[in-house]
Amino acid sequence: MLGDNRNRRFLDPQALARLASMPLMARRTMVGSVSGMHASPHRGASVEFAEYRRYIPGDDLRRLDWRAYGRTDRYYVKEFEADTNLRMCLVLDTSGSMAFGSEQVTKLEYARRLAGSLAYLAVQQGDAVGLTCIGKEITRSIPPRRTAPHLRGINDVLQHTEATGETELVARLHEFAETTRGRALVVILSDLFVEPGSLREVFDHLRFRKHDVAVFHLLDPQEFEFEFRRPTKFVDLEGGTALLADPSDITDRYQKALEDYLQQVRKIVLESAVDYHRITIDEDYEQVLLRFLSGRLRGRGLR
Amino acid sequence: MSFLQPAMLFALPAIALPIIIHLINQRRFQTVNWAAMQFLLTANKMSRGYARIRQWLILAARTLAVAGLLFAVARPLSSGLLGIAAGGQTDTTIVLLDRSASMTQRGPEGESKLQSGLNQLVDSLNLLPSGRYVLIDSATGKPQEFESPEDLLKAAESKPVSATADLTKMLETTEEYLRSNRPSRCEVWICSDVRKADWKPDSGQWETVRRSLLELPQMIRIHLLAYPDIDKRNRSLRVTSVQRIQREQGAELLLSLRIEQGATENELTRFPIRLEIDGARSEFEVEMSGSQFDLVNYAIPIDSNQTRGWGRVSIPSDSHPADNEYFFVYDQSVERKTWIVAEDPEAVVPLKLVASVPPQPNILCSATILTPKQVIGTADDQPALVIWQAAIPAPDTPLASWLKQVKAPILFFPPEQIGGESYAGVGWTQWREKESKVSTWVGDQGLLSSTQSGAALPLGELTVQRAAGIQGATISLATLDGDAPLLSQAITEQGEVYFMGTTVAPTASSLATDGIVIYAIIQRAIAIGTQTQGNTRQLIAGTTPPPRGQGWQQIAGNSQSLSTDYPLHAGIYRDGERLLAVNRSEAEDQAFIVPRDQVTSLFGDLDFDRIDDRAGNSSSLIQEIWRLFLIGMLIALIAEAALCLPKRVKSKRVSIADQAGSDRPLGQGSAT
Repeated sequence: MLGDNRNRRFLDPQALARLASMPLMARRTMVGSVSGMHASPHRGASVEFAEYRRYIPGDDLRRLDWRAYGRTDRYYVKEFEADTNLRMCLVLDTSGSMAFGSEQVTKLEYARRLAGSLAYLAVQQGDAVGLTCIGKEITRSIPPRRTAPHLRGINDVLQHTEATGETELVARLHEFAETTRGRALVVILSDLFVEPGSLREVFDHLRFRKHDVAVFHLLDPQEFEFEFRRPTKFVDLEGGTALLADPSDITDRYQKALEDYLQQVRKIVLESAVDYHRITIDEDYEQVLLRFLSGRLRGRGLR
Repeated sequence: MSFLQPAMLFALPAIALPIIIHLINQRRFQTVNWAAMQFLLTANKMSRGYARIRQWLILAARTLAVAGLLFAVARPLSSGLLGIAAGGQTDTTIVLLDRSASMTQRGPEGESKLQSGLNQLVDSLNLLPSGRYVLIDSATGKPQEFESPEDLLKAAESKPVSATADLTKMLETTEEYLRSNRPSRCEVWICSDVRKADWKPDSGQWETVRRSLLELPQMIRIHLLAYPDIDKRNRSLRVTSVQRIQREQGAELLLSLRIEQGATENELTRFPIRLEIDGARSEFEVEMSGSQFDLVNYAIPIDSNQTRGWGRVSIPSDSHPADNEYFFVYDQSVERKTWIVAEDPEAVVPLKLVASVPPQPNILCSATILTPKQVIGTADDQPALVIWQAAIPAPDTPLASWLKQVKAPILFFPPEQIGGESYAGVGWTQWREKESKVSTWVGDQGLLSSTQSGAALPLGELTVQRAAGIQGATISLATLDGDAPLLSQAITEQGEVYFMGTTVAPTASSLATDGIVIYAIIQRAIAIGTQTQGNTRQLIAGTTPPPRGQGWQQIAGNSQSLSTDYPLHAGIYRDGERLLAVNRSEAEDQAFIVPRDQVTSLFGDLDFDRIDDRAGNSSSLIQEIWRLFLIGMLIALIAEAALCLPKRVKSKRVSIADQAGSDRPLGQGSAT
């Protein structure tokens, strides 16, 4: 299935091969177009018994349980669980801040790896994958499909996406929530450099739309450690105000601000039931994905 | 504060180096593209608190360290009070040393004021290099150069004497030295205990000296190293009179002495008085309470054949040993002759009567009335007093020459016909007919001083009908209403010369009818003149020129003193056939200190500063204190290092990760 995708620099076939053994599961019921491996809120024709229901005119007579009729002299219809496929929407933050990376990779590059791998895994197991790139506006939006050519298209977009400009992450996520119909697994790949309070509304909005939300919070190690020795002029990658600061003077307060922010984010994701993964981009993305997949396997969707 | 290497202070702007480096460092920033601006902006808005203070402290510590180093290299001196000139070497340093008896007062450590002052001066001058050092001491009054400050301690001219100092004369000598040697930059150090007796702050000479010094072209700075402390428990001893009396059963000395103590103690204290008469010692105890004790006519039996001799009286030593002993000489009584020179012998009969009556029965007094023409060649021996009530002789006349040779005191009365002649610059003005009373007189010393019992002479009862004015440089001893002089003393080097403003004639004054005053005046003048007679003399230290020829031989006194300095040291000396007793002046016993403000005003516009020290003080006036600055620099460096130490915290990344709980995905399993 990799086909043309083998040459993508953000895809590692060997890693994908190792990850392919782990299914990508939804934590909530999904409404797919075809049969799949994810729980559906509807009754269907699977082998898993769901319930007996009284016959009402119009029901398919073939689904009448004659044995139950023989025992009770009443018409019952025997219903089974339905399994359907998954619609996964990858939401990639392409604002300027995603271009930051103190080591080999930028946050955008790391996000590409995660997104490309997840897209591959989803398509491989028959799920549909879509991609939405957001910066100040929604720059690209590819609706979920489950075909191999579609995957190639997504990879093309991932490969050519650049991190630039300001971010309007919150507004665009609200817009995304409004415009995305049906239940979906929404995977947000972003550094979330917005006010934590506004994130709560976004997550609540997505949950209200019955989406299963997963967040990969990407941070650079330098953003944690803030190890600078000389006075430094910090130029905003999103075009904002530059700031000249003496690290020895400001480090403590920076660390304090970062701690406060992360604590607020932690509180919000706990309260919003978001599948949250904070990642420093010097981590091995394969391990990150493995942790993500295994975590979802434990909490697979309830009907 | 002053510095031995003030040139190093030009490097002081270097203390700005840390600030400049800090500013340069601020400008040498690196530029980083940064994503997490949100936290930086938040951090920037937070109160900087300790971080900002820490930055300033580090900068201050670095600045202080550089400043400390620079100050240490400049070799600072702890001389703030003295205000010694910073920078530049002094061309000449002149030391005015008060060697008076009062400078021998010792401190609690046993060191005298003079010795302490010398030590301080040597320490200070060693640190303040000078091209030339000159000593002007109070005893010799001559400028003497010395090689190094240490020579001050060895010089004979720095040893204490019994003579009183005269600061104005020493400053005059300083001015003369500076005028003749013309040094470029001069420091004058005065070491003194600032006693009124030495400084004479009311003297008109101060104005002259001050003006002279101000007129000098060179820069002069005057530093006073003062020792004004007085020991209030000090006792001083003074012999007020000694008289040899020949009685039928033998000879004896009648000794009168006075002991004074500073603190008025009502408690009775008992102490011994030691006597040494011609080498024979004895001792008796006295009891004293209050500030003064007088022993009058204490009889000491002596050998009848001993017609003259010497003695020493002493009390137990205290903090001021110089006033604990007194020397005296005695001789058999000589006839006290008074010559009364008058144009009208009848007019001076009362004076003859007064001069002829001895104050004590065992004293012989005689008075002779002479006309001016009879005076010359009348007698070879010297009188004890000359009373002159005739026209003052014109200069270059035999009479004028005769008067100059007189060693006895001369008491001038105005003649009836007043001419324009003067003696010692003093003469008469015309008679003035006006009845008047005595308004003021000097009652603490001199001819009009109070009696031994403390009672004042009854000058207030005198009535003067006619008075002649006195013109010339005089010290007024008594004045009439309207400031007309009644009795004045001429300012002259030729002994005691007095001018009376009226006569004893009943038409002129009541001097004859109220005879006590004129009797006291004449007998006191005779007593002064008697000291010039005979073979013994009581001398005041420093008032007699150094002996010539074979000089004096010391009988008792300080054996360390040089023979040329005998007139300066208390003791008993033999000058040929004569016995001389040298003692400190009466003023030395009066512990009056010139007030600080008055001392400052004496120097007026001169560059003057003062530091008060105390006898026995071992801490130097000036010390090199570069070590303090080095220590300060070290402290600043240590503080800087401590402030610059990075905080010992565990990795912030781990800390934050722990709090955020990134090891486990959040929100897992909580979806509904």
